[in-house]
Amino acid sequence: MNLPEPESGPAPARGRPAWRRFRRDGQSVAALAVLALVTAFALMAPVWAAWTGHPYDATFPREGLDAGGRPVGPGAEFWLGADQLGRDVLVRAAYGARVSLAVGVAAAALATLPGVAVGLLAGYAGGAVDTVITRLLDITLALPALLVAITLATTFPVTSATAGLVMTVLVIAFFSVAGFGRVIRGQVIALREREFVAAARALGAGHLRIMAVELLPNLTAQITVLASLLVPTAIVAEATLSFLGVGVRPPTPSWGSMLGEGGEVFRTAWWLLAVPAALLLLTTLSFNLVGDGVRDALDPRPDRAAGRG
Amino acid sequence: MAAGRRGTAAVAGLGTLVLGLAACGGGTRDGDGGGTLRVVGASDVDHLDPASAYTPWSAGLVRQFARTLFGVRAADTFAEAVEARPDVAAELPTTRNGGVSADGRTYTIRLRPGVRWNTRPPREVTAADFVRGLKRVCNPAQPAGARGYYTGTIVGMDAFCRGFGAVDAGNAAAIARYQNEHEVEGLRARDARTLEIRLKRPAQDFVEILAMGFAAAAPAEYDRYVPDSAEFRANTVSNGPYQITSYTPGKRYVLERNPAWRQESDPLRGQGPARIQITLGQDSPEVVQRQLEEGTADLAWDQTVPAARIPALRSHPNFKIMQGSSLDPYLVFNTLSPNNGGALGRREVRRAIAYAIDKAALVRLSGGPDVGEVLHQAIPPRSTGHEPFDPYPTPGDAGDPDRCWRMLVAAGYPNGLKLRFPYRTSGDHARIAQSLRADLKECGIDAELVADSAGTFYNTTLVTPADARAGRWDVAAPDWHPDWYGDNGRTIVPQLFDGRLYGPNSANFGGYDNDEVNRLIDRALAAGNEDEARRLWARADRLIMADAAIVPLMSRNQPVFHSSRVRDARYLPHFQTYDVSLVRLA
Repeated sequence: MNLPEPESGPAPARGRPAWRRFRRDGQSVAALAVLALVTAFALMAPVWAAWTGHPYDATFPREGLDAGGRPVGPGAEFWLGADQLGRDVLVRAAYGARVSLAVGVAAAALATLPGVAVGLLAGYAGGAVDTVITRLLDITLALPALLVAITLATTFPVTSATAGLVMTVLVIAFFSVAGFGRVIRGQVIALREREFVAAARALGAGHLRIMAVELLPNLTAQITVLASLLVPTAIVAEATLSFLGVGVRPPTPSWGSMLGEGGEVFRTAWWLLAVPAALLLLTTLSFNLVGDGVRDALDPRPDRAAGRG
Repeated sequence: MAAGRRGTAAVAGLGTLVLGLAACGGGTRDGDGGGTLRVVGASDVDHLDPASAYTPWSAGLVRQFARTLFGVRAADTFAEAVEARPDVAAELPTTRNGGVSADGRTYTIRLRPGVRWNTRPPREVTAADFVRGLKRVCNPAQPAGARGYYTGTIVGMDAFCRGFGAVDAGNAAAIARYQNEHEVEGLRARDARTLEIRLKRPAQDFVEILAMGFAAAAPAEYDRYVPDSAEFRANTVSNGPYQITSYTPGKRYVLERNPAWRQESDPLRGQGPARIQITLGQDSPEVVQRQLEEGTADLAWDQTVPAARIPALRSHPNFKIMQGSSLDPYLVFNTLSPNNGGALGRREVRRAIAYAIDKAALVRLSGGPDVGEVLHQAIPPRSTGHEPFDPYPTPGDAGDPDRCWRMLVAAGYPNGLKLRFPYRTSGDHARIAQSLRADLKECGIDAELVADSAGTFYNTTLVTPADARAGRWDVAAPDWHPDWYGDNGRTIVPQLFDGRLYGPNSANFGGYDNDEVNRLIDRALAAGNEDEARRLWARADRLIMADAAIVPLMSRNQPVFHSSRVRDARYLPHFQTYDVSLVRLA
């Protein structure tokens, strides 16, 4: 009887050691701190609005624009400058952070469940089920996500701001499922040949039980990492849609729509581009660094650890 | 019925992403010294057929190959550039020179000699060509958007057009047969060089109507094609200074000098550049502006200088702000909307809102007081019937939200209103919509912005009475550019406020209807002279404003720019562009 080759695989359940390893990774901790700051910035959006006396949708054409319509730059009245309507860029960036974070986290969360489910099913069942699911995922991956999103947004004009946001989240989540599913499927194919699965089967465990009790816990690391890396992708996708004018609806701000509006005038008002761009860059970079850190912490293979500075 | 919304809409949409598509047009100087003028813009013409080309830039292109009886000559001042002058006609018809009969109802127009089609061999343009051109105005395939000007004035045009409309629109032979076998009672080519037109009633602005591109002469060759079809567009015939030698739809036009054209027989145009190359597909006004400043393109096609760029250009020698006369934009109320218990149908509610708007803010965010001027009347400055009055004054034109609010409460709406506000996403329309929304909010009105493209905004959203009655929209901020300037009373009040014309595709978007205004329209159109008409239009304006049918917001001037190679740039307000035929290239 041939026993499968022992291989280095996911370590058994872990908790404190992983957190300790994460804590030792300076970059990841710094990134986490940045994310905490951005989150606080977003949560405090109404505070900024009250503090400055500038609601996000209120225009201040006399204070925020000069006589020729040029927005005023960062200063005492508008800390991060005003936009082309004389609105406060700081306040709008804070409200935009709410949109970006909400869309990013919600889309990642929504993509995770079906992504894990199809990946698990395809990888474990194999055969025809695997073929069908994999082909479907391939088809989804082959669709130009951005074009489909634009088509959907323009074909079904949504009637309220929330509906627009929900649709954006759904579209991004839908297109993230396929990538998620394929990675999980690969992991499951490797795992299903392992002894503990064979043992469970020998003990009479059903398929569902094997998938839920034996395989799923061993995927926690991958799921966490994938989900944390999906957040910045979703944030960028939302920004892209809003930049193109098919995401959030004015006057609701989003970093993407702010970039879209600011791009027209970057030669005269750099802050309209710089503020949302810096926030977007900082946030997505931080999410990626945190994702990397989580992966390293959960899966401390020396080759990987060595790969990082 | 004519819809003359020659919108300034810069189609921005996906805009800024599609960088670098345009203006790789190379050659600077050709052999014969004229050089190549490079024009860059976003979208193709609405129509290329003179009978239907309507947007300012389409009409501006058509003007180079299709001459009219009367026209305008580009100039530096508004007054000079909007004055109707003879083009193919030998002179302006008056009672004194026998061009207009004593009863004002018969026009006898003599054609100047030496105007020729670029056929082989070149052929003289005749009065019959003008009759054919006028008949084509209501062809069944692509009729003129403004055919109402012709059916409303020329005897028998109505009946001719009704019959024409029933002809198979896809059959060129059937169209030509109807056109050539049926006469318009009031249109007659007395001989090759004399055209006689009889009117239903005197119309002292009739020369302006004949100066529109729709009334251009049409050669017999056009009878072979369905009007404005792809075949037509590939086979235009020219009697102007330029002929189209290459056309790739949506991408590019190349115009070259027409050898059959003679300067001495054209008092309005010139033959400056050897070639004119129009490159389309560049959606971003910012990018176009950069190309003009860098000298990789010479003139803009359908976009104006972006407002944000204006402050930096003020002292630039190639930058100018040309006067205009427009409602750009105005706030129109859907008086038929059932929303809020039909509130917008009530005059006191509309009056309240008239106080709410910060018009000075709109001027500011459009580039300042030399780019836009605050408007208080339905008839803008420099249009016939304009009088300075302000029925809803607010300090500094900044709006008075408190007063709006008190009036709304008095009208029985203490909880404010909830309005649907479709807006165009292109150009600066989104910014204007957001500014208006903020003003309305101050007065307790929640306006929900609904994104719309410039196309659907004008050809579906605002012009579908069933949608208006179902409350699909409540307020909107369209713009209106008169079809001509000068004696142009006909192009504003009757188009926007005649309640009898409300229906599909009417420019009276909100369904405003006031019997007294309608009566004044009839009297003004039949007025014996311009002064009398002016007084009647002004009276109508006061009634319209008392009803607050719209909130006039701004009349916009046109900021224009050209590259350093361009000399002798002279402006045509009608077409919102420089006359490309008069340009000289350094």
